[in-house]
Amino acid sequence: MTTRKFFSSPWRTLGFVALLLVTFIWLVPLLTALVTAFRSNDDIMLQGGPFSLPREIVLTNFQTAWERGGLSRYLPNSFIITLPSLLLTLFLSSLSAYALARFRFRGNRLIFFLYVGGTLLPFQVLMLPVFRLTDALGLYDTFAGLIAIHTAFQLGFCTFLLRNYMRTVPGEIMEAARIDGCGEFRIWWQIMMPLTMPAIAALATLEFTWIFNDYLWAIVLLRNDALKPVTAGLATLQGQYIMDWTVIVAGALLATVPTIFVFLFLQRYFIEGLTLGATKG
Amino acid sequence: MLKEEGKVKKVLPILMAIVIVLGTVAACTPQTVTVEVPVERTVEVEVEVPVEKTVEVPVEVEVPVEKEIVIYNSYMSDPEPREADAGQVAMFEEKYPNIDVVHSTIAHEDFKQAIRAYLTASTPPDVMTWFAGNRARFFIDKGLIMDVSDVWESEGWNESYPAGFRAMSSVDGKQYFVPASWYWWAVYYRKDIFDQYELEPPETWEEFLQVCETLKENGVTPITIGTKYRWTAAAWFDYLNMRINGPEFHIDLMLGKEKYDDPRVEKIFTDYWAPLIEDGYFIDEPAAYTWQEALQFLIDGDAAMYLMGDFLRDSYPDEEESKLDFFRFPIIDPSVPIGEDAPTDGYFIAASAQHTDAAKELLGFLGSVEAQQYFADQLGRLPTNMEVDTSGFTPMQQQGLELIQGADFVAQFYDRDTTPEMADEGMNGFMEFWDNPDTIGDILARLETVRQEVFESE
Amino acid sequence: MERRQVLSKSAPYLFLIVPLIIYLIWVVGPMFYSFYLSMTKWDGLSAPVFIGLRNYQKLFKDPVFFVSLKNNLKWVVSFITIPVAAGLGLAMALNRTIPGEKFFKASFYAPMVLSFVVIGLIWSWMYNPAHGLLNQLLRMLRLDSLAIGWLSEKNVVMWAIIVVATWRQVGYVMVLYLAGLQGVDPGLLDASKVDGCSGWQTFRHVIFPLLAPVTVIVVVISIIDSLRAFDLVSVMTRGGPYNSSSVLANFMYIEAFNNYKMGYGAAISVIQFLISVVFIFIYLWRVLQTEMEY
Repeated sequence: MTTRKFFSSPWRTLGFVALLLVTFIWLVPLLTALVTAFRSNDDIMLQGGPFSLPREIVLTNFQTAWERGGLSRYLPNSFIITLPSLLLTLFLSSLSAYALARFRFRGNRLIFFLYVGGTLLPFQVLMLPVFRLTDALGLYDTFAGLIAIHTAFQLGFCTFLLRNYMRTVPGEIMEAARIDGCGEFRIWWQIMMPLTMPAIAALATLEFTWIFNDYLWAIVLLRNDALKPVTAGLATLQGQYIMDWTVIVAGALLATVPTIFVFLFLQRYFIEGLTLGATKG
Repeated sequence: MLKEEGKVKKVLPILMAIVIVLGTVAACTPQTVTVEVPVERTVEVEVEVPVEKTVEVPVEVEVPVEKEIVIYNSYMSDPEPREADAGQVAMFEEKYPNIDVVHSTIAHEDFKQAIRAYLTASTPPDVMTWFAGNRARFFIDKGLIMDVSDVWESEGWNESYPAGFRAMSSVDGKQYFVPASWYWWAVYYRKDIFDQYELEPPETWEEFLQVCETLKENGVTPITIGTKYRWTAAAWFDYLNMRINGPEFHIDLMLGKEKYDDPRVEKIFTDYWAPLIEDGYFIDEPAAYTWQEALQFLIDGDAAMYLMGDFLRDSYPDEEESKLDFFRFPIIDPSVPIGEDAPTDGYFIAASAQHTDAAKELLGFLGSVEAQQYFADQLGRLPTNMEVDTSGFTPMQQQGLELIQGADFVAQFYDRDTTPEMADEGMNGFMEFWDNPDTIGDILARLETVRQEVFESE
Repeated sequence: MERRQVLSKSAPYLFLIVPLIIYLIWVVGPMFYSFYLSMTKWDGLSAPVFIGLRNYQKLFKDPVFFVSLKNNLKWVVSFITIPVAAGLGLAMALNRTIPGEKFFKASFYAPMVLSFVVIGLIWSWMYNPAHGLLNQLLRMLRLDSLAIGWLSEKNVVMWAIIVVATWRQVGYVMVLYLAGLQGVDPGLLDASKVDGCSGWQTFRHVIFPLLAPVTVIVVVISIIDSLRAFDLVSVMTRGGPYNSSSVLANFMYIEAFNNYKMGYGAAISVIQFLISVVFIFIYLWRVLQTEMEY
């Protein structure tokens, strides 16, 4: 409805104002980060802390974070690691999810619990076993090793999530397609996938955020500086004794830009989404 | 809906293609570094010219020269050390043009985890930064570190390094480690506040208590401290123990040879530390602040003193730094030798390093006068090589050097002198004591149990 | 027809084979290896030494273990109530055309996008007793007695951290419910309106049941995330003051990577895993029983 019509109801207007207030409070920490990124450390300390009024605006933190964090070198690496992992895991988990969601077969529950079980283990305990495995396979210090673990590790959660979403699709559609003579793979690709698009888009957003923001796997499985992702580069901004607050915050804000872009790009798929209405058509 | 489906159908294959492309790029990324070096050579060429002349013509000839490489991983992620580290690498590469240094800086905390992967990988980094003391011994004892006694010999370090540093780097008479830089701990204070209340830097414990009382009467919290990460409290333990019971007892305690429930240990807490807390000489809620956050009180003038390492000045606002000075932790028992904490960082080579010769060259350089001079001048830290020229040091550096040279014994700091597990429990104990000074008896009993487990059950 | 029947029967296995193999090698294998590790004494460098169940015996006598368990439970209770309700509420509120909807959605999702280091840093500043925003506000409102050390008082610290975690989690749950709401057939909503149902009734009897699969996901991940919680504790307090904010994952990390006791750390993880398994599998088993068959 139009904006005018929306605000014509007093209750709705009140609700809107309340929402605005809550949102603003919600954003305070982020606004603090934003302001801090434009100050210098000396300024913060001299004025009495991060919540003091800035004496001057400083633009150099972003550049320092970019250079010291080596972002121009590491940003491409982050994408080389994240995108294949993301697409592989979505592809493979949607295959598994389809099988688990729509077919009754022996081992269905066992395999389902196996996938769920994998998400329960904290990854720290997997760190050294996976490191040894990766080294033994000759994949230490390669992109492939990192992509492999990201893909495998996310499979559990993605399969679980997609299986549940796929169960909400009415079975008649698939039955109809089968009767029409469609092969299972075609049904998966042409019917199930489009209908699961909101879930896949939401999942892609989350997975992109997680894989892009990971750095502990990178620390353990990579040694060569040239392969490091952005997060490892930004982590070096933290020193042994000194936290260069303003530069760290500026760097972190820079690192959020790709994930924000992904969110804005994909949100139209899971927020406005494709309407189901399948039974109508 | 059909139109949307069509869009989706088109997007997915494109995405797939991108995956394949990126995957191929990833797989094809070369892992080894071979470098082709164009070499300029002047060549004498006879040129047919009406006037007979020989003309020298510089000709660029591409001659592939196999460069050696050395992989160097460093944990110097603090802003200024990081620059100095990079500077040293540049100096090395200039001096040895046929060696390429593959230099990576890793966040300090992460390095402590990653090092275990490094030392056990089939392709480890060659040279790495690390701490002196118990932390290095841990790896040396497991045979993961290369014996570099030959480098010590050829560089003449057996003469140019003080005996203490040499001892620190040796196990069973062989050298494994090169100590390179260190810094001092002291009580930093606001000169201007002291001047305001006509106070002199105290030398004895009685004088120190006087200073605290005067400050408190005038509304200034005497001592600031941020104990969120606990090690700042451990500093107080170190110094009180060394001043009261002497450095030898302190080190024996670190090595597990003395007991935690010994009355000498308890004395530290009941007779000296608890009174400071109970008289309100420390700020409120120290556990809520990191050491950096607690610095704010010193900057604002709400507090006047801070027992801290010299790196404090890196975080202090530049325009206010002139107000800072430091004094030696006050003497409690004049008959006891003077011990100081001076944590030392250095380098070692992985036992399974693949570029041994280049690694030893780099190690030799990092311990040399040239490298250490540069590092000390850049950072205001202190070098380990005695041949470094100290006349150009800043007054603070000179003062720090005197402080340490005037000491009878140098320790590495609580959590580097004792095992990680003991340090963890010990520091928890200090925090608990700070909250509840009366429970120190129980705390020490518990720490003694831990000590026995850690040092005596093997 | 026969060929298709055969293919149909084997279709699920064909779909599963590649992902399953990758998963078995990279996740399940290491998982079993860490079960083995939990029965060894290992410093991460030399060879592991088999010691049977001694790690577990030690664990059940360790007070830090029980503190961590309690803290994780506090986390679970908080996570399965507040973010779920708030996330659902937000999704319902924002799933319509209101002015600036994209702004609202992005704002609530934004905390998920920032790294834990920065979130921990900023919130530590907010909780700073002397200079932080929270206490400054409290002092302005003359509530000085409430201006305590939020991260240094042992009875408060865990809740202070959970507040931050919840703040972050709400956007995550909101996104999942928004996606779920896309699957709700608007025809059903029209039908219920025609039948004279109020908004709340429509929600309770039509929308919420239809969102059941999403709710299952949300509850499961809330439990998992709260039992696995690590980063915020690690960044904000490292489990302090003296372990009062310790959680199982943080406890494991310190034992394994700080104290070089990988075997002991693995044992902690196994217990953490088993607790999660019990919670999740019981819940899921019941859900699976009641799932519609078709």
